[in-house]
Amino acid sequence: MLPSRARRFFRLAIHRPALTEQDVDAEIAFHLEARVAQLVARGMSPDAARSEAQRRFGNVELARHTLTSGAARRETRMELREFIGNVAQDFRYAARGMRKNPGFTAAVVLTLALGTGANATMFGVVDRLLLQPPAYLRSPDEVHRVYLTANGDNFGTMIGTNQSYRRYQDLIQHARSASEIAAHYQTEFVFGSGEAAHEERTGLVTASFWPLFGVQPALGRFFTSAEDQLPQGTPVAVLGYGYWQSHFGGARDVLGKPIRIGRSDYTIIGVAPRGFNGISLRSVAAFVPITAGGADIFAEMGIGDRWRESYRVGWLQTLVRRKPNVSVEAASADFTNAYRLSLEAQRPTEPPGRVPGPDSLRARAELASIIEDRGPRRSQEATVAVWLVGVSVLVLLMACANVANLLVARAIRRRREIAVRLAVGVSRGRLLTQLLAESTLLAIVGGAVGVLIAQWGGGLLRGLLLPDVEWTAAALDPRVIIVTVLLALAAGLITGLAPMRQLARTDVVSDLRTGGRGASLSGSRMRRALLVLQGAISVVLLIGAGLFVRSFHNVRSLDLGFQPEHVIVAELSARGTSIDSARRIEIMDRLRERSLTVPGVQHAAHTLTIPFGIEWNQYLRVPGIDTASLRDLFYINPVGPGYFETMGTPLIRGRQIADGDRTGGLPVAVLSQAAARRIWPSEDPLGKCVKLETDGPCYIVVGISGDIRAGFNEGPGRHVYVASAQVPAPDSRLFIRTRGEAATQTEAVRRALQEVVPGFAYVSTRTLEGIVAPEMRSWRLGATMFTIFGVLALVVAAIGLYSVVAYDVSQRTRELGVRVALGANAKAVVGLVVGEGVRVVLVGLALGTAVALSLASRVSPLLYQVSAKDPVTYAGVVGVLLVVAIVASLAPALRAARVDPNVALRAD
Amino acid sequence: MSAASDQLALVKGTLDVLVLKALSWGPMHGFEITTWLEDNSGGALDVDDSALYHALHRMEERRLIAAEWGVTENNRRARYYGVTSAGRAHLRAETARWLRYSEMVSGILTAASRTAAAR
Repeated sequence: MLPSRARRFFRLAIHRPALTEQDVDAEIAFHLEARVAQLVARGMSPDAARSEAQRRFGNVELARHTLTSGAARRETRMELREFIGNVAQDFRYAARGMRKNPGFTAAVVLTLALGTGANATMFGVVDRLLLQPPAYLRSPDEVHRVYLTANGDNFGTMIGTNQSYRRYQDLIQHARSASEIAAHYQTEFVFGSGEAAHEERTGLVTASFWPLFGVQPALGRFFTSAEDQLPQGTPVAVLGYGYWQSHFGGARDVLGKPIRIGRSDYTIIGVAPRGFNGISLRSVAAFVPITAGGADIFAEMGIGDRWRESYRVGWLQTLVRRKPNVSVEAASADFTNAYRLSLEAQRPTEPPGRVPGPDSLRARAELASIIEDRGPRRSQEATVAVWLVGVSVLVLLMACANVANLLVARAIRRRREIAVRLAVGVSRGRLLTQLLAESTLLAIVGGAVGVLIAQWGGGLLRGLLLPDVEWTAAALDPRVIIVTVLLALAAGLITGLAPMRQLARTDVVSDLRTGGRGASLSGSRMRRALLVLQGAISVVLLIGAGLFVRSFHNVRSLDLGFQPEHVIVAELSARGTSIDSARRIEIMDRLRERSLTVPGVQHAAHTLTIPFGIEWNQYLRVPGIDTASLRDLFYINPVGPGYFETMGTPLIRGRQIADGDRTGGLPVAVLSQAAARRIWPSEDPLGKCVKLETDGPCYIVVGISGDIRAGFNEGPGRHVYVASAQVPAPDSRLFIRTRGEAATQTEAVRRALQEVVPGFAYVSTRTLEGIVAPEMRSWRLGATMFTIFGVLALVVAAIGLYSVVAYDVSQRTRELGVRVALGANAKAVVGLVVGEGVRVVLVGLALGTAVALSLASRVSPLLYQVSAKDPVTYAGVVGVLLVVAIVASLAPALRAARVDPNVALRAD
Repeated sequence: MSAASDQLALVKGTLDVLVLKALSWGPMHGFEITTWLEDNSGGALDVDDSALYHALHRMEERRLIAAEWGVTENNRRARYYGVTSAGRAHLRAETARWLRYSEMVSGILTAASRTAAAR
């Protein structure tokens, strides 16, 4: 018995109609009705039939409830399946679209990759400098560096971060709010001896350093307070993990072995865990007790034992761990109090009146972050890094703007397709999710490439910005990847919104009719706005680049009067071996001879002082000239023969210091031109003489040399060069001139020199450029980074401009065809297109220039002899951008000019 | 003789295959299935209608059958169920299994009665 009915073709439907409560009720009601009808047809009364139908059905209420909830669950599951299916379909479609338009895809992916890659790289750097606390530090929020400040004019106490050991002891005695207090100092010590000697970073720490960290040794143990007592700590050492691996092969029997650090032998008692460097960003080879290593440092300096007693020898950084229930403010106040008490205790040790009261000093202790770059003494690199983060965010925004532009252009191009789909019945929501899937997929691919860029660029950036820092994580830190992914998704969302907005106002009918050819005014307004934004950002970045490049160029082309890039400074460190002055001079001579045999070395000369570094200045006494009129300081430098050739300073008149100028001979001196002019402005200086002391010999002027600058912001220095053989200078050093870049040859020269020194003495070499120009580093850095980012921004903007203009042209082929048909020649068409492109860019230029001018005051302290509003730079940047705008518009313009009016007018 | 005492309670799990068999004749709505089962079992089958709907929704979830709203000859709105290809396969498999099973059981039981009869 099969009643006929409409038959449907049943298949596995992907989309099922919803089974709601009404459906279940309807089905049950229908069933009961049919049953009643059947029973009535068989002769029952309607009432009896109804109750019989109910009975046969079973528990109607229960059935309804179970069926509905079951249906609801199924419904949710099916909806989820459907949703996932839709999303997968969207992504497949998007992927296919990407493959079909490789040029478009490449442009978008590249743009996003540059944007996200730059940000990920900068995040990695900022994370290391500002966000990551030192490894193995338990509860880093409780741990602080102590900065003690006191404002006084003639007051000699160390201000800021370098505290004396005595001060540290006072703080321990008086402070109540800390559960642990430790002191830390870091320096380079010479490890090993003889030819295997090498300098390594060493941490000098108090025994309380280890419990303050809460770290466990990888091997052996840490030293205890019993081993860190005045007057002399026990010579024990804890090796850094990296050093243990590289120099001891990670052997476990290293405990108890001796190791030569500085002037003494230390016994190895333990190894720190992997990646532990104390509070330093750089890798530390060994940790020794402060009281053991302190003697080493100060013996060389001639301070001797005074460092234990004196308040004036400031060198330590104090670290504290706050007690858990004490706030930072309360702890700072507590330490301020302790500092004041310490200052009070200091007064009796000084001459009366030397130390003003703590109140007049406004003495104050500040508990700052354990991360140094977040405290008051932020390093240059950290400041630059923060600037660069801002810059890279700008670049990312630009990249997003660009991609949004491209996507909007494409959405407009596809108007007809979209209109058809809407007409057929696809919901707008579905289309929106499709667009979102497209932009998200592009963003993900862009982000993946961005990670690669971050990896490569990260290495580059680290080398430039932070060459000494130990990077515990690989460039592909999971946090960097997460940040990149988040950025990419955000970029996808932002850029997807633009075409979605475009889509929301699609007029189906008109689009079907015009076939996507009509120019959409609002869309083009948004695109133009985006272009203006990009142009402005490029301008700002490029102006920054230009200013920094000019600063750097000014610095480099500054005539210092000598050539630091070719000079190596070699210094002898006796390290406990006692060498008397005569022997020392003999060794220095030997070093000089040996250095001249090293290939690549041209000249070498003894010198005492280092320009920009260590100087000796004093007043002169000149016979015949009233001392009152010569109240200027002169730079004195005992030098050996060959000094001027080594420095690259010209000799203008007379002769220089020669081998023959020895003890007992005629005392001679060479003056710099500025010095000679200062003393004898209108007379010939040769043959005259100057005295360093009233009772000393009068040094006869035998030569005049070129001037040397003593500082970047100073004029030519007034130098007096005497013979090192005649003015004994036991601490003299050696300047060595190399043929090529000095930086590449320091190690080779060092090894050659090390061969001729006795016993445990050590020769260290560094470049003169490194001493003279650490400031140069920040200018060079700024120039490099801003140039990189500026060019990046320019590339992104150029891509954007090109795509927008190209799109515009393709939209207007018909209009252009009409123009050509009406008699316009190719040049006019090109001019028209290029003109429009340039007009947009000009607005961006104006905006960007205004922004740059407003930021000028903040940038000027970072520049050298360049005004932050330097017109040459501004004009240059504007010029470059205009050229780029013209070039970017030219290609599509030329294509437009070749439009065949017949084709253009006919095509639809 | 009341029809109730002659009715056989359904062995668990067989309702599904019976419904599939019914639907293999073509799409039906819930009441038609009930009627078909009653007719084809000669009235011996006793199944709660609610149990039937539970079974129907379960099988729909397992994609053995598919449902759509349709219109009866009386222009009433009713939910029609039809068997899917997966359902047909399931029907074939279960039918074969059931026949094997009943053969086996009958074989054992009839052998015992033969023994009883022989005594």
